[in-house]
Amino acid sequence: MSTPTQVYEPFRAGLPPLRKYWKSLWSRRTFISEYSRSELREQHFDSVFGQLWLVLNPLLLSAVYFLLIVIISGSSDSTRYAHLTATLFLFYLVANSLTGGVKSITAGQRLILNTAFPRIMLPVSAVVIAIFKFLPTLAVFLAIRTVLGLPFAWEMFWAIPVLLITMLLALGLAVTISCINVYFRDIASFLPYMTRTLLYLSPILYEASDLKPELRTLELFNPLFPILDSWSRALVHGQAPLTSHLLISLGWAVGIFLIGTYFFLSREREFAVRL
Amino acid sequence: MPSVSSSHKTNEVAVSVRGLGLTYTTAIDRRPTLKARVKSLGRGGKQTRVIRALDEVNLDVEYGQVLGIIGTNGAGKSSLMRVISGILPPTQGRIEVYGSVSTLLALGVGFNPSMSGRDNVYLGGLAAGMSRDEIDNHFEEIAEFSELGEAIDAPMRTYSSGMYARLAFSVSATVRPDILIVDEALSTGDARFKEKSLNRIKELRSDDRALILVSHAMATLEEVCNDVAWLHKGKLVQRGDPKTVITAYREFLQVGKSAAIDEDV
Repeated sequence: MSTPTQVYEPFRAGLPPLRKYWKSLWSRRTFISEYSRSELREQHFDSVFGQLWLVLNPLLLSAVYFLLIVIISGSSDSTRYAHLTATLFLFYLVANSLTGGVKSITAGQRLILNTAFPRIMLPVSAVVIAIFKFLPTLAVFLAIRTVLGLPFAWEMFWAIPVLLITMLLALGLAVTISCINVYFRDIASFLPYMTRTLLYLSPILYEASDLKPELRTLELFNPLFPILDSWSRALVHGQAPLTSHLLISLGWAVGIFLIGTYFFLSREREFAVRL
Repeated sequence: MPSVSSSHKTNEVAVSVRGLGLTYTTAIDRRPTLKARVKSLGRGGKQTRVIRALDEVNLDVEYGQVLGIIGTNGAGKSSLMRVISGILPPTQGRIEVYGSVSTLLALGVGFNPSMSGRDNVYLGGLAAGMSRDEIDNHFEEIAEFSELGEAIDAPMRTYSSGMYARLAFSVSATVRPDILIVDEALSTGDARFKEKSLNRIKELRSDDRALILVSHAMATLEEVCNDVAWLHKGKLVQRGDPKTVITAYREFLQVGKSAAIDEDV
């Protein structure tokens, strides 16, 4: 007799065969992109502006926060505004991954209970949606930057590795929080306050260099701190980011991704029972 | 035909279920209040009740077999299907599956009501494990089978429930797996469409495929299946020739051969 294609045995917390898992996830990549696209389209389905909101949202957001800065600090210059928009848009890539990811498993109940597929697909598509939302904002930022007349420099290409690190971090966070939400639903209600706190702890409304020395310890506990500072240095100031910042943020991203994915993969077979 | 993997010979085992047990643990906080939570924290853990959904089930399905699963509500039919398809992990026992499995446990899984019928054919097909090319090749066939006409380009939330179910069935019936598991999905649409979908299931019967059908429509099962298994309260009661098992089940239910049980789906 031939060997079985699938064997199902009682659940034990442990990793599934990773190669097989990856293959089955990779074979569903079209589904991931189609699923994400349809979710994205649904979000603005009924509105007059429709997909235009993908550009309107970041513009309005940056305008509101700019107003806040001008009121608080009394005055502002173009670099400041560029810094605000650049970092705010990247921050929202992470924040959207978190808000989309947190309920991705619990909201995918129908899919989970009726089809067998690698469950990590759901938080992955939450991150894909966040990336789809981020790309137009990047174009908006480049337009703003040109209008403000900031000089272009080769060092701006440092933004690419920074962006890749951010995506890995966003993926790790989405996977982790979606898994936590299966066991502890209250996390979804805490999340808005967590992201808001993270927003104020990150160098967005201020620049990293403005921070008082006694508050610099904040850097150590916030993975977004080195990322946003590197992003701003590269895209706004046209400087190479600090090597230490790049390494620290890479460490955070890889660490969170590995821990979160391990946690998720070793638990995912149990999700159907927990929903 | 999509998803055809290596061919399987008749009478080769497709699914082997050994000593399968499945238990659910449910919390029985009647009124989940914060006070009750705090009190139970002190006692250590919530009060729970263990429900045995499946108990020592042994079941082999061979290629060429069309197995009908019958039983009252709560007998464990759907749980068994979910365990075989790998959605729920078993509590005890071992399941071996030899071939590609496609499940039709609920209609319209993966559909997004805001999108058009056309987009949902792709979404549903991809969710069922088809590739984009396969769906492209079968699109006309799916659209025609669903009899939606121009409505295929309208958003699905404007569909009647019958239209919705018809499109969902049409998508699912296009997948050609080695092992197909269908859970009460034959009852879609009006009498004519029911007939049509029943014929589609009959077409799917072949020597190199195993079909497992869960249904309450006894007449249908008697017509389609060549083997029937009867589950009751998580245990396998009887298995064998459709007529014999269904007669025994009817006697058990003490309803006789009434119209309701034949036609009900």
